Amino acid sequence: MSNIGDLQSFANSITAVTSPLRGYLNELHQKYSSLNDGTVADYIPELALAKPEWFGVCVVTTDGQIFEAGDCDQLFTIQSISKAFVFGLALEDHGREYVNSKVSVEPTGEAFNSIVLDEATNRPYNPMVNAGAIATADLIKGENGTERLKRLLEMFKRYTGRDHDINVPVFLSEKATGYRNRAMAYLMLNFGMVSDKIDETLDLYFQQCSILVNAKDLAMLSATLANGGINPVTQERAIAEQYVQDVISVMLTCGMYDASGEWTYRVGLPAKSGVGGGITAVAPGKLGIGTFSPLLDAKGNSARGIKVCEDLSRDFGLHLFNVAKPERVLADWISGGNGVDDW
Amino acid sequence: MPKVVSIHSYRGGTGKSNFTANLATTIALQGKRVGVVDTDVPSPGIHNLFCLEPEQTHKTLNNYLWGESSIAETAYDVSANVGVEGTGKLFLVPSSVKADDIARILKDSYDVKLMHDGFRNLVKTLQLDYLFIDTHPGLSKETFLSIAISHVLILILRPDKQDYQGTAVTMDVARQLNVRKMLLAINKVHSKLNLDALKQKVEEAYGETVAGVFPLSEDMVQLASEGVFCVKYPDHSLSQEFRKVAQQIVEV
Ligand SMILES: Nc1ncnc2c1ncn2[C@@H]1O[C@H](COP(=O)(O)OP(=O)(O)OP(=O)(O)O)[C@@H](O)[C@H]1O
Ligand SMILES: [Mg+2]
Repeated sequence: MSNIGDLQSFANSITAVTSPLRGYLNELHQKYSSLNDGTVADYIPELALAKPEWFGVCVVTTDGQIFEAGDCDQLFTIQSISKAFVFGLALEDHGREYVNSKVSVEPTGEAFNSIVLDEATNRPYNPMVNAGAIATADLIKGENGTERLKRLLEMFKRYTGRDHDINVPVFLSEKATGYRNRAMAYLMLNFGMVSDKIDETLDLYFQQCSILVNAKDLAMLSATLANGGINPVTQERAIAEQYVQDVISVMLTCGMYDASGEWTYRVGLPAKSGVGGGITAVAPGKLGIGTFSPLLDAKGNSARGIKVCEDLSRDFGLHLFNVAKPERVLADWISGGNGVDDW
Repeated sequence: MPKVVSIHSYRGGTGKSNFTANLATTIALQGKRVGVVDTDVPSPGIHNLFCLEPEQTHKTLNNYLWGESSIAETAYDVSANVGVEGTGKLFLVPSSVKADDIARILKDSYDVKLMHDGFRNLVKTLQLDYLFIDTHPGLSKETFLSIAISHVLILILRPDKQDYQGTAVTMDVARQLNVRKMLLAINKVHSKLNLDALKQKVEEAYGETVAGVFPLSEDMVQLASEGVFCVKYPDHSLSQEFRKVAQQIVEV
């Protein structure tokens, strides 16, 4: 699809307002606004500042329509969600074989911050656990730390279509208290799995986790993956087409920490969550979902975000392995056609 | 299922407000609950046809868009002013005619989502069967919105080259917005023209139905927006034409 014209793009922004799908999202938002399970992350003081009532839901389709409900402009730190996308950039920098030789793609039942490496190969289990993400960040090319960070920020801009900043207090806090991550990095250095620019790479890792995004950005990230790596609004390519499946499949198997199995069973959408309260979920070829609510369940996933994704997946038959006729036909709910009229 | 009817034209002064008032009243007189919203925030006027004076309207659509009141609080029951009785009801949501208010809404704009949610809320709380939207001429965000939500879009044009061209532009937009149903109405036709031939010509040119053809009328000019024409002159040929268009709206 070529770049869409101004008439179509303005018309899209209006039909996104009037579409029954927005009404559906509004109701979903209302339904789960009163769900107050879970707690706000507080392992560093900056994260504890998040308001528990913040709640945004955004859907972006692969043809570039944006549907929002709630606080979709509220910024928060991307945290672990960054890991999936940095993995994509590492693949572009080095190719599949080399990256796989440094980081495995095996799900682990262990917690995200566990200090375990594969015994036979010394590789961290996958790019979504902290150890794997640090090894992945190590692979990002660039002359120095600044240049490597710039490359990450440029990559996120290609996905979301806008500039991103770092939340400096969060970065400094993570850096000051990240003993465990530091220990993991040195353990991997000991096994020769990462290069010796440990401080630079750890800074980069803490910075990538401190990038500020909103729910709409998260929907745009996953919509870009769903659209084969091309941002559906700007039409810019964010990641080489051949690596889209790598990123998406690791999201499916490892994206939701140690709740990934349950998630795949119930929701069936490749997704990645972060302790900032975000979830990004991909319905390949169809759409991207971005949710934000800082109330986390025991496994570190946004409690409301999970509910929203469950409902969306069930109601529109988005589960990857769904073969049954869904209750609602997505295209009709977007256009208000075929008798879908919610007046 | 409630129906949203938007009345629009590319150019000004085509008769939008008079059509809105006459069609809404005709349907309310059939016992339906009908709401009318004046989305012409830069130059509101339809309240005159319903004999609602600005002094009586302390809350307007502007107040709703500024978050100062609920949409239902800005709706006025004008049934009695147009002789609607029984189960039928007619409500009007006027826009403010205060220069300050108009300047404020032009300067600060407003959230189109809020306007949309207001329409829905109004339909729900007043249990409307029909919502009529009177619009500002030309293309603007409220025009796009009203076209996108309408179950029936009525485009008014005069037999005039500028109107013909503008209508074509509007129809492109309407199709882009996946409008459900479009009807054309030709107004202010010179008495010497052959109405049937004109109707046919316009239908062929645009590929859409012409729901009614309205001659230029001395009586309409004389009424001068001080009331709803079909209430004042129920047996007039123009009133019959309004009823014909209303029937097509009901049948959609
Ligand atoms: N068929 C007609 N014959 C004669 N006069 C008419 C006819 N239809 C409308 N008018 C007159 O034309 C004028 C404009 O009508 P109206 O205000 O309804 O148009 P409008 O499209 O709403 O204008 P605006 O674009 O300013 O909102 C009014 O004075 C009205 O009485
Ligand atoms: Mg008018």
